[in-house]
Amino acid sequence: MSILTVAKVSKVYRTAGRELVALDDISFTVEAHEFVTLVGPSGCGKSTLLKIVGGLVERTSGEVVFKGEPVLGPRRDIGIMFQTPVLFDWRTALENVLLPTEILGLDRAEARQRARAILATVGLAGFEDSYPSQLSGGMQQRVSLSRVLVYEPDLLLMDEPFGALDEFTRERLNLEIQRIWLERRKTILFVTHNIAEAVFLADQVLVMTPRPGRLARVVRVPFPRPREIRLMKSPEFAALVFEIREVLGVA
Amino acid sequence: MRLRAEHALAAAFLAATLALWEALNRLEVVHEIILPAPSRIAVGLWTVVTLDGFPREVGTTLLEVAAGFLLAAVGGIGLGVLTGTFELFRRAIYPYVVAFQVIPKVVFAPIFLAWFGYGVESKIVLAAVIAFFPCLINTAVGLRSVSEDELLLLRSWVASRRQIFWKLTLPKALPFVFAGLKTAFTFALIGAIVAEFVGTYHGLGLMLETFTFALQMHLVFAVIVIISLLGIVLYAGLDLLDRRIVFWRREEGL
Repeated sequence: MSILTVAKVSKVYRTAGRELVALDDISFTVEAHEFVTLVGPSGCGKSTLLKIVGGLVERTSGEVVFKGEPVLGPRRDIGIMFQTPVLFDWRTALENVLLPTEILGLDRAEARQRARAILATVGLAGFEDSYPSQLSGGMQQRVSLSRVLVYEPDLLLMDEPFGALDEFTRERLNLEIQRIWLERRKTILFVTHNIAEAVFLADQVLVMTPRPGRLARVVRVPFPRPREIRLMKSPEFAALVFEIREVLGVA
Repeated sequence: MRLRAEHALAAAFLAATLALWEALNRLEVVHEIILPAPSRIAVGLWTVVTLDGFPREVGTTLLEVAAGFLLAAVGGIGLGVLTGTFELFRRAIYPYVVAFQVIPKVVFAPIFLAWFGYGVESKIVLAAVIAFFPCLINTAVGLRSVSEDELLLLRSWVASRRQIFWKLTLPKALPFVFAGLKTAFTFALIGAIVAEFVGTYHGLGLMLETFTFALQMHLVFAVIVIISLLGIVLYAGLDLLDRRIVFWRREEGL
């Protein structure tokens, strides 16, 4: 059954008498435990849409319904992650991961235990007491990932989370995010401008076109899980990527 | 190893400069009245430090600097928090803050003397007024240094305004606040000494003036050395506190 429904969402920015339509009449649904990617060129409003789903940006019209309730503002069962790690320099890796649990007032001892376990699953055992400035970009993004996992939100919103990393680190983290998603049964809405990445990760790819931001096509991705990198070599994979390229007019 | 070599180089440079300076005096290229030799200044230092009234003069100036600095810090940070937190407050007062900032505050020294007298009060007030602005402006700017994503992240955890302030805004502002405090301290020292020049019963500024009028140049330079040392030691203390509290700031000095 669907956990998230986005119905006729529009976003219009009004500046000095001018109107800029950022999102135009977007509708889609996401099933529980589904991995959905949003792909499109910059300026198609995919980040804005993600923040609207999270209740972090107001929509001009339309409705977002999560777990049967309209989303009217930020919710603790929806977590977000950005392209930059947004870590706090004065906190160690562990303390950064614990920050949301402090804000949400969760049990300290239990949170600490869970944070350590999650840091270990993302390969950061032994780096708990390191400060962000002592970690590489990939490691910082793993801390950021641990921080959104620690308080167990049901829906993860990921805004090009690995977009600033090099190709190798990005591929490795894509495999890890798939593993974590399979283990923890989260629902993920993942924004990217990389078509191959979008197809590799997704159960369904939402393809967006810019000016105004529109949902141009929904592409189902049937490949079984867990997927491996060599899937990208298969003709079926290439066909899906090409289909999306055509929609985006870059074929 | 490289660090030690650098220190050795700096020390050698100092020694060479002092030797040249001393030689110029001994050879009477430079007269004592213009610039006394380092050895004469060293003698002067001893003379000044052993004067009966010396502790009182130092104590007075230290009190003025400390009180002025503390007043400026409390007032400046307090007003800076209001300015950085409340948009309406910022809009109401910031234009005047900026306008007032460009006035050289020492112009008020004679007025403060007339208002508050020859005692420490007029010096404390001038020191505080000069030191106040770096505290205010740095605090206000620091509190606004939070990025859009940082704020969105905290909001995604349904954080209250209070939580956002303590967990995000304040720590982000601390490096700025400390930079302001360090500037404020040097300003407070300037304020106290200048205010003493204008008129006072006690203080290092008075000693400086008295010895200058008496043409005791080695004593004048001795007092300058003492003021400089006081400034350096106190600044170093503040810098140490800064490094302890704002330990995460990346060094970008020379």
